[in-house]
Amino acid sequence: MTSNRGQKKIPTSRVSRGAVVGKAMLKIGMTSGTGAVKRAFMSKEDKEVAKSETHAQIAKVIIDSLGTLKGVSVKIAQQVALGLPFLPQEYLDEISKSFNAIPPINKALIRKIIKQELGDYPQNVFDSFESEAFGAASLGQVHRATKGKKELAIKVQYPGISRSIDSDLSVIKFGLSRFAKGQDIDHLMDEVTERLTEEVDYELEAQNTKYYEENLNHELIVVPTIVEELSTKTVLSSTFLEGKSFETFLKGNPSQEVRNHYAQLIFDSFFMGLYRLKMIHADPNPGNFIFMADNMLGMIDFGCVKRVDSEFLNGFSKLHILLMDNASDEVVAEQYAELDMVDRGEMEEMLTFYRSAIKPLDRIYIEIFAQEKYDFKENNDFSERGFNTIMDVQKNQRHAVHKMNADYIFIDRTLLGYYNMFEKMEATIDTRFAQSLIRERG
Amino acid sequence: MKVTQSAKEKTKAKILAEAVNLIIEKGFKSASMREMAKNAGVSNPTIYNYFPNKEKILYAYVEQKHKETAQILQDIEDFHTYTLREQLQTLIETELELYLEDREFIIQIADMVFQSGGFKLDLLYDSNAMFREMVSDMLSIAIEAEEIPNPPFEEHLPRLFWDYYIMVVAYWVKDDSEMFENTTLFIDHSLGVIEALLQSSILNRANDLGMFLFKTHLLSALERFSVKKSGFSKIKRKFGEVFNDK
Repeated sequence: MTSNRGQKKIPTSRVSRGAVVGKAMLKIGMTSGTGAVKRAFMSKEDKEVAKSETHAQIAKVIIDSLGTLKGVSVKIAQQVALGLPFLPQEYLDEISKSFNAIPPINKALIRKIIKQELGDYPQNVFDSFESEAFGAASLGQVHRATKGKKELAIKVQYPGISRSIDSDLSVIKFGLSRFAKGQDIDHLMDEVTERLTEEVDYELEAQNTKYYEENLNHELIVVPTIVEELSTKTVLSSTFLEGKSFETFLKGNPSQEVRNHYAQLIFDSFFMGLYRLKMIHADPNPGNFIFMADNMLGMIDFGCVKRVDSEFLNGFSKLHILLMDNASDEVVAEQYAELDMVDRGEMEEMLTFYRSAIKPLDRIYIEIFAQEKYDFKENNDFSERGFNTIMDVQKNQRHAVHKMNADYIFIDRTLLGYYNMFEKMEATIDTRFAQSLIRERG
Repeated sequence: MKVTQSAKEKTKAKILAEAVNLIIEKGFKSASMREMAKNAGVSNPTIYNYFPNKEKILYAYVEQKHKETAQILQDIEDFHTYTLREQLQTLIETELELYLEDREFIIQIADMVFQSGGFKLDLLYDSNAMFREMVSDMLSIAIEAEEIPNPPFEEHLPRLFWDYYIMVVAYWVKDDSEMFENTTLFIDHSLGVIEALLQSSILNRANDLGMFLFKTHLLSALERFSVKKSGFSKIKRKFGEVFNDK
């Protein structure tokens, strides 16, 4: 009842937003200055510490102001964490703290939005409508409702969100450019902007959901059915999937067999999406999976998807086959050049770059394909190792980022998110099906 | 008796609707009572039975919207589970929504009120009894349920809220954002402030401070002055009026 109380409101008017943006920029400027002054009188080791302190402070300033902005920023923060591996750990820590904050839409606003978008008040549009939200969604919240015999989930977006994307992004960009010196963050920011713009467009999400529902064709995977006549750009109505959340599922102490089953479904659905639908569910958030009765898995929230083309898939598959078959570094480096992740040039240079900037990552990503089965219980540090490796690589090769093929990064990063779930599930997965899909393509 | 009453209501509503249409079409000044009567299908004298003048039509319009709003709020089944802020927000949003179809009409009235000054806002207060009643109900229920502490000047708050509402309408009239999204956000944010004010004890504390300053300093100063100079007793009486008034 009183859950909305005491939360800071989201400043969405241009003036207040601008003010927050301005304040954040001012503070970042000041913090960097402090670091510089301090550093001038310090030994090398102390300098490192001071630098890290400054980073932590900047991170805090950025995230603080993002916290005030909320809404879109939370999503940006997630996207940044997902897409910008070169971020210092402090930034990632701060960002992860802000993950669960979403703007509340109170009962008065819900009524208004439903009336405005669907033409009448909730009680007239639906047979029943719970004005209390039952879950958070991308940039909005989800309400349960019934109409006819259907149980529905109604996702409602906070007003003004799509207009605030630009100003939020400018803060992030400013913040990033302060320390990502020399690194080209533009294309990654473009990627983030694109994802966000897609994500606030519920009509697009409806299309994606339908596409998945119609094409995935897996008897154990359920995708909600969109109710088109009750959906608009900011309201998305679909059938409600009854089941357990990831946390509840794990708390119920499911058997090893059941855990393996679900991890396998999630893993296979990823590769089926990638190879058959050419579209992956790119938000590896456990909240997007519903553990339903009869071993069924519900997949929801298709707001963040990534489409790939055949050309990319061919390159991606070839690369993975080479890696799985332990091809020589020369051959692999050549394939990376094909993917635009290594500059073409003298083989020596290509090899040096490949070995320092990319190879450590390869080993991580290919590790699970080395055998038919991979046990995440034994290797429960897998995703952590993955992220640390990314950090190490970035530390050594500051300019490496712009070489990365954004699609490639996106897919591997999403997989890493899935693996993190499998670790929590302590599951063993069978990689044969995924391998066969990869080899079919290559 | 009842039938005539409802027939009367019907006629009144019909005249009102036609009047609003005509004012939208011709402007408040050029729209004549005669034409309104004609459009509504009533005789010229009849319209004056209902509305002695054009301004009364405006008041009746505002009152009518309050009535419709009250009805809509009553139809919300779980309205009692709304927080005070949600209730107030629903009230405002519903009123605005009813205004939406007559937006041109409201814009004209707003122009008269805010620009040309041809119209005194105060006059509208007579027709907002229902609005104030709704607000007053919501407030007293919230106080009783201990959702908010007992605020000072409680009986004046509905009127203040009406003033706030007028401000919202003024904002809405000038709002050119898509679907009046800015107004929605303005309402959401400003009610956040009002909610915070009502929930905090700021109003009470400010009142305490005022009373303390008045009793300790002003009152004694006035006493001193009044002994010396009888002219000050007038001022004192004025202050007394202010505070007795509460």
